[in-house]
Amino acid sequence: MTFQVILVLFALFAITRTSRQYRKRKVSLYWFLLWTGLWALVIGIALYPTTADAIARFVGVERGADLALYLAVVLLAYLVFRLFVRQEETERSITQVVRQIAVQHPSKPDETH
Amino acid sequence: MKTIALIPAYNEESRIAASVRDARSFVDGVVVVDDCSVDRTGEVARAAGAIVLRHVINRGQGAALQTATEYALDALNADALVHFDADGQMVAREIPMMLEPILSGEADVVLGSRFLGRATNMPFTRRMANRLARLFTLAISGIALTDTHNGFRALSRKAARELTVTLDRMAHASQILDLVKVRRLRYVERPVTITYSEETLAKSPSSFRAFGIVKDILKDKFFTRI
Repeated sequence: MTFQVILVLFALFAITRTSRQYRKRKVSLYWFLLWTGLWALVIGIALYPTTADAIARFVGVERGADLALYLAVVLLAYLVFRLFVRQEETERSITQVVRQIAVQHPSKPDETH
Repeated sequence: MKTIALIPAYNEESRIAASVRDARSFVDGVVVVDDCSVDRTGEVARAAGAIVLRHVINRGQGAALQTATEYALDALNADALVHFDADGQMVAREIPMMLEPILSGEADVVLGSRFLGRATNMPFTRRMANRLARLFTLAISGIALTDTHNGFRALSRKAARELTVTLDRMAHASQILDLVKVRRLRYVERPVTITYSEETLAKSPSSFRAFGIVKDILKDKFFTRI
């Protein structure tokens, strides 16, 4: 029971934070809907754990909690992958900028005084 | 034919002057990329007669070579490029021999090999690491060479344009080989002398760092091209 309450409170907290971020235009509508949907799902499952079991059995997993865990792992793996690609792009952009600065300011031997 | 030597350098103030002066006798110009050294590498290189480009953030040897390449092609209008080193492992007298196949039109890319030549006192672990690297390169790029991580290279202008290095760190050596194959450039190997000293061994990549190289290559192959 305690765990359910904590989970619901945390989900509500996450949703209010996201909606505030969205109103300040710090996150996109897509991200807002995705995030809100995800936490709404968490609330639903926390309040009615048996629905999760039903869904789990429908897709061929024994327990709802197991299904949630599997999905969480897949989601995290995907997010890590995205970060990975994004970080690589950032690294390349930094190199581009550093290169531009370097070629624009060559110091030539005859400039020595 | 305008020939330019490219030297990526990171904290090499004690050795860079000799490298630049040696190389200058055999090419029309020397470009040093000072990869955000904390010592006086840049000043020393310029005093020795090189054009110095400075990276304001350390980006790695691959990135430094690419910076030098773009400058040599665009600003200096180079016809042929030589990749040379800053720490005195390579022998400048061998530069004309490396450039010869380019100048005669025999090849677009000339790759130095320690095993066609006589590597001076190469440690056993390096020999083994290199053997693995050869297998790895054959498997990944389908290119059979006697030496896969030799930094001594000569490129025609055309080849230099096509071999754009995007792997900023040490894996650029593999990327270059990969691109040689992909772009179907004509390449030859030439024997070169590499001298290992206590000092340079302490600084250059150990066999352990090879894992980092493998990681970068695999990452590039399987992730960033998606």
